[in-house]
Amino acid sequence: MTKKRRLTWIAVLAIAAFIAPSKAFAHGEAGDEPFLKDLTTAFYDVSISPKAIHVGEPVTITGTVRILDTWPYTLDPPQTAYITPVVPGPVFALEDRVINGQPAPGSFFVERGGVYQFKMVMVGREPGRWHVHPGIAVQGTGTLVGPGEWVDVQPAVAKFTFPVTLLNGKVIDLEGYQSSFVWWWSFAGFLIGVAWMLYWTLSKRTVTNLAVTTQIGINEDAPDIGLITPRDQMWMNVLAGLTIALLILGWFYAATRYPVRLPQQTDWFAPRPLEPDLKLAEVRPEGATWNDGTDTLVMKVQAKNVSDSPITLKEYVMGMTTFVNGGPDAQAQAGPHEYVGQLEVEPNGPIAPGETKELTLRIANPILSEERLIPTRDPQQFIAGLLRFEKAGGGEQFAVVRINVIPTQFKAQYIPGL
Amino acid sequence: MAAGTTTAGERQRRLELRALLNKKYKWIDRKWDLVFWITAIFVVGGAADITKQLFAGDWDFWTDWKDPQWWPVITAFATIIIPSALQYIQWVAWRFPTGATYTAVCFFMCAWVGRYFQWHVAESYPLSFVWPISIVGAAIILDWILLKTRSFILTSLFGGPIWALLVWAFNYVPLAAYLQPAHFMNHVLTVADVQGIVYIRSQTPEYLRHIERGALRSFLGETQYVSLVFGGTVAVAGYWIGQFIGRYLAVWPIRRYIKTL
Ligand SMILES: [Cu+2]
Repeated sequence: MTKKRRLTWIAVLAIAAFIAPSKAFAHGEAGDEPFLKDLTTAFYDVSISPKAIHVGEPVTITGTVRILDTWPYTLDPPQTAYITPVVPGPVFALEDRVINGQPAPGSFFVERGGVYQFKMVMVGREPGRWHVHPGIAVQGTGTLVGPGEWVDVQPAVAKFTFPVTLLNGKVIDLEGYQSSFVWWWSFAGFLIGVAWMLYWTLSKRTVTNLAVTTQIGINEDAPDIGLITPRDQMWMNVLAGLTIALLILGWFYAATRYPVRLPQQTDWFAPRPLEPDLKLAEVRPEGATWNDGTDTLVMKVQAKNVSDSPITLKEYVMGMTTFVNGGPDAQAQAGPHEYVGQLEVEPNGPIAPGETKELTLRIANPILSEERLIPTRDPQQFIAGLLRFEKAGGGEQFAVVRINVIPTQFKAQYIPGL
Repeated sequence: MAAGTTTAGERQRRLELRALLNKKYKWIDRKWDLVFWITAIFVVGGAADITKQLFAGDWDFWTDWKDPQWWPVITAFATIIIPSALQYIQWVAWRFPTGATYTAVCFFMCAWVGRYFQWHVAESYPLSFVWPISIVGAAIILDWILLKTRSFILTSLFGGPIWALLVWAFNYVPLAAYLQPAHFMNHVLTVADVQGIVYIRSQTPEYLRHIERGALRSFLGETQYVSLVFGGTVAVAGYWIGQFIGRYLAVWPIRRYIKTL
């Protein structure tokens, strides 16, 4: 191998190592501290499909996000939020967004305990393989990210267009709409500026000018010496006049061509509340342990069935992850597979009406540490999530639990193996 | 004033200055001018861009942020600082009324190169959504005011408000098309709003925009004009920040250095 060839290979490998997506981390969501993910919100029933499209074809993101009652007091209380696809730039174009059944072009009002069912439709815009998440941005906190899925966007034969209907009935293509006018308009002004600059820099010199200006007053333009001559004044009047003429022309054009102009619109609303949860269980957390070496979380809770039929614990939802008390089929239903895992419940099975059971919930899953969901060296050693109970014959409840976590083993922090 | 020279000695001195001005470039030639004007493009353009980014980042980035209330105020203030500093430097050193226009032209090139390659090519945002504002028109008039008044005080007093008005007016012309009402998601939105929704910005949620929603202070609904007046006032302040930079961070240290030689 020649030296040049070898260098090329090293460069290619280095770049590949840098951009090779390391599955769940594609959006740096693991960078947030655990409490920011666990205590704030929980995403569940998320579906992102289809997973392969062509440019111009739709992908639909649906799911539910709940703002937990455990919202950290260290953050601003949740008031205004915005639900958005979290994608690497405008590789998709958002076509529709519905929250609790209402169209939601912009932000909306939220509260602790609020439940927001979202549906977003976006069309592929740039070919590539993109990691797609739903996310909720909460004012004062930032964007909290839900579970993600890889979506393959293949190129299409037709050029990508995005038609939008104006109020006057005209249909425009949003892609590059009016961009050539913006450019030529700005460029016309730029040309006058260049003419102004060339006039001074070509007809005059810096070094001899400096020798003169240091010897006269700062307010003198000294036409007798020749620093600024009547001819200069005349040409500058012409260029300034041209500038104003251009502006008047531009305003005339804009006013006649676009007679109706509105200020930017902002319609924030409080979404209609969904049907409230049933009251099925009373849950008392009794503590949890975390083994950092084996990525195992064990939680103990006491659950009392306060309904009139048997209930079953189906899921534990924490941040963007869902752990399912069920087989592969139930897990596949629960959301994007990288963010779904197994929940072992001991003793498993229904809880009879009126009965109280001591449940041991066990989750052994590397996602917990990959996504930094468990506090290990943080000032607040607790987690929060939702226990999803289902009633025989239909109906469910999401019970919020906040549990203290006791670490039983620590991973090496700075030096591997120590 | 030069025209009112009285004594013969004074007249003689000015003739000598005239001769000095027209002296042939010998040990240094026009190449120096060329090198200077061209290398400074990057420094001046960069300084203007950073200052604008610092104060008016998102307002200059997206069409749906160019609102009637804050956009005219913040961009006017943020963009006048470096033109004012350069006006001082180029007027004092060479008696060129070019500082603002030079800054604007450099800034124009830097901004478009940045938007095109970084935002359009690399990030695939349409230019129609992320076009930069241009301050060239306003800068020409600001330089013209300095040329006519030969005074930084008068230029700040007249130029500040005119700057605010012209920066807004020159960029409202290309913005107008994006303020047309459209029908989208069962709402009436401007084309700019639609761009802001369609071209996803995961880390710039919509609520970060400052859009006037109407309040008692929105004087008869004429927010726009109140904003322009306010923008004019803060532009005067911005002009003097620029003067401070030009006087004490640029010219004064150079003079001191030359004196020590
Ligand atoms: Cu991702």
